[in-house]
Amino acid sequence: MEAVGQIIGGETAAVLIRQKSGEPVELGDLLVAEGDGYTILQVKDLRYRSQIPQGMRELASGFNLEGYSGDVEFLEPELRNYIIAEARPILHVREGEPLIPKRLPRFFREVRRIREGDLDFLEKPRNPVFLGHVRSGSKVLDTPVYVDAVDAITHHILIPATTGRGKSNLVKVMLWSLAEMDRVGILVLDPHDEYYGRNEAGLRRHPSNNVVYYSPDAPVGGNTLTINLRSLRPEHFEGIIPFTQAQEQAIARYYNEYGDEWILKIVKGEELPGVQQVTLNVLRRIFDVILGVYLDDGKIKSRGGVFRERGGESTIKDIAASLEDGRIVVVDTSRLMGEAELLVGSVISAEIFRRYQQYKADGKLRRKPVIGIVIEEAPRVLGKEVIERQGNNIYSTIAREGRKFNIGLIAITQLVSLIPRTVLANMNTKIILGNEMAQERAEIIGSASQDLSDDNRTIASLDKGEAIVSSIFTKFAVPVKIPLFEEFIESAGLESEDSEDEEIEFIG
Amino acid sequence: MYRFAHLSDCHLGAQKQPDLRELEFEAFRMALDDALQNDVDFIIIAGDLFHSNIPNMETVKRATLELRRVREAGVPIYVNYGSHDYSPSNTSMIDILESAGVIEKVVRPIPGKRLGLEFTVDEKTGAKITGLSGRSRTLEVDYFMKLDRDALEAEEGFRIFLFHSAITQFKPADLADMESVDLNLFPRGFEYYAGGHVHRSGCYHEEGYGPIVYPGTLFGSYAGDLEENARGEVRGYYLVEFTDKVREPEFREIRPAEFEYIECDVTGRNSQDAFSLIGREIADHDVTGKVVMLKIRGELSSGRTSDINSASIRERLESMGARVVQINRYGLSTREIQKVRVVESDVPRMERRIFREKLAGLDIKNRRLMDEGDSIAVELLRRLENEKAPGENRSEYEKRITEDAEDVLDLDLGGDGT
Repeated sequence: MEAVGQIIGGETAAVLIRQKSGEPVELGDLLVAEGDGYTILQVKDLRYRSQIPQGMRELASGFNLEGYSGDVEFLEPELRNYIIAEARPILHVREGEPLIPKRLPRFFREVRRIREGDLDFLEKPRNPVFLGHVRSGSKVLDTPVYVDAVDAITHHILIPATTGRGKSNLVKVMLWSLAEMDRVGILVLDPHDEYYGRNEAGLRRHPSNNVVYYSPDAPVGGNTLTINLRSLRPEHFEGIIPFTQAQEQAIARYYNEYGDEWILKIVKGEELPGVQQVTLNVLRRIFDVILGVYLDDGKIKSRGGVFRERGGESTIKDIAASLEDGRIVVVDTSRLMGEAELLVGSVISAEIFRRYQQYKADGKLRRKPVIGIVIEEAPRVLGKEVIERQGNNIYSTIAREGRKFNIGLIAITQLVSLIPRTVLANMNTKIILGNEMAQERAEIIGSASQDLSDDNRTIASLDKGEAIVSSIFTKFAVPVKIPLFEEFIESAGLESEDSEDEEIEFIG
Repeated sequence: MYRFAHLSDCHLGAQKQPDLRELEFEAFRMALDDALQNDVDFIIIAGDLFHSNIPNMETVKRATLELRRVREAGVPIYVNYGSHDYSPSNTSMIDILESAGVIEKVVRPIPGKRLGLEFTVDEKTGAKITGLSGRSRTLEVDYFMKLDRDALEAEEGFRIFLFHSAITQFKPADLADMESVDLNLFPRGFEYYAGGHVHRSGCYHEEGYGPIVYPGTLFGSYAGDLEENARGEVRGYYLVEFTDKVREPEFREIRPAEFEYIECDVTGRNSQDAFSLIGREIADHDVTGKVVMLKIRGELSSGRTSDINSASIRERLESMGARVVQINRYGLSTREIQKVRVVESDVPRMERRIFREKLAGLDIKNRRLMDEGDSIAVELLRRLENEKAPGENRSEYEKRITEDAEDVLDLDLGGDGT
């Protein structure tokens, strides 16, 4: 055994390990102490220790710094000065079975670095979503880390990260695995148009042809995002657009009177008894600003072309059908106003939720793929204030009840603290990327599936692409290194995009 | 100012009932007459002229006479294949009529790494017509994807793009299952887009494109179409005036008969009560000289669905003067027998749903089969429906059917059909 240290004391939460000289141990390193199976320990803190009194060390340093002597040195320095690592036992493995450690590894036991085979119990699940490789400090093992798509998505996934820590990269890597599955449909509401890869590496290159793209300005091969105004119902706006009571009542009146033509009638300024002109005018203005629809020369015009009077009647059904076929549907909402973006997601999610409720009632749910909804900047719809001020919306409904209907959220946020604890507690898989904000770290740690109370500093020091996966489906909080998406798909052996140069055989 | 008529989805030969077949043909004749009376310079038929690539000879004979009449009036007819006209071996009636000089197929590919299309120039008006034929979606999208749009867009003059596909953006909500292609796959800037395949009329205006127009079916090929006729859907064709641009296309209604729609919900009644209710419902309608579409739906509380005697209902309606009676009882079920799971009145959609239900219940690993199995099965079923053509001997017929099946299944059985 190549020892890197030896256990010299400590307690359950913090085993003290003296580091062997020349075998540097890093924060987050995974070490192994053998005995009755083996115990995996994770380094949580590092500190200096010395056999030489502080005064002597200060004096020696003074000599050195002030240039009194070039040969001031300690007797047997590697024995007298050393590093102590504080490590926590995170898992005990006995006969290949991972167990929660209930006792300390033997006192004075030597520890070694973790090896590939030590994590053989991390099996590939049935519906594997690849997240990266196990990371020990900043070293990456060859052991891949997966979560089961069906389990993880139905129990919701939270991805907390500050900007620039690689959350888009992580989501792309995850979606790549998901695109291979027909048991999972994923709706991606993409406010930055970064997942499909219109101009760079993205899901567009997935060989399964399982990725469907909608954009107001779709490239050839994509679908143009158009939604007929008749597809919108008042409940789609619930919890998304803050209406006053008078406006809500007016909307209800228009909907009762005109059914699916309610928005058209409002935009056309058609008066209705009991609705004040001023309310009608405000509603027209709201629809103008948010949906981009307005009246021009007696005709309804659409700014941006997404919400429109003619066309786009089947879009929502088409998207829902693709999701039900287990496809990934990326909706580019980068050209939409914030509320309009959420509204598009709300309409689609509501349609899926309605369908899946019906399937459950009909006993068909088991045969349907699980649906995941990727929502960026999740507090916009799951935030405490939003829910308190505007009431529940379809996203918060899914966060609470989605599991019953095999629908889950993949929520991405910089600000976990804005999401209510009750919602956070329902997010049973958290893929934690680096975060400098202490308050956010505290919220993440407080709601994680494993005890991460010692990981405050570790989370703060996570580098780009490094993450901790804390899930009810993993025995311990697994440190992972997420590959760079471009390198990841290159390693998948994709052919160059320009390779199909065959002459077309045409019939018809 | 020039004029052309834009028809589509005539589906000649679709109706099996002689009276309906007569009306189907009447609609075709009326449309051509109306176009000629409006002095059109040419006619476009955007696919599915016939219901089958080899229709029965009586249908062909009558259609040919009509088309020849138009041709002899100096009006050329430009067509593409519809999904029903398509034949892998180029033995479609469209090809035969083209060889006889009655019509002109305008889909002329220029092979290469991009799919170029040659324009057909109408001699009199100078209009340049090109386009694609209707195929199964995968191939259709493939062709559209590879289309040399730049070359098409660079062509100068008055251009018409002929196609036989649903466009995703314009699909009606109830036809969401229909395969479709996105508008962004079409070349931009043409003066007119002549569509077929969608059986409902519609004229759409999108920035960067001339009017995108579907005349819809001329009469209707399935019970669902006829039911829509009876519920007020207007059938016809578009008359288009143009110089270097088109004017707003004018929809010309073609109504070979009056329709009457009767719907009767018998839910919760026993078969005897239901029968009486239908009788009372019928009595409230004036059906004289009309095509009657009677829809009976709902779950009987007791009794058999066969207790509701269609023959006697038909007799009653005929005695009231109905010209043709069509009874749709697909939505009728009873608690006493196993519930009917598939409720569709449109035959292809019903077939597709059945296949989809079956596929969902099978543990098939082949992704393509799971995705396209229903389309493949429906297409195969339709090809196998093709009857033996007059003059075709048995081995020729078998060979043709085998080739059709090979094409649908994307198989090569070795050429001898064994």
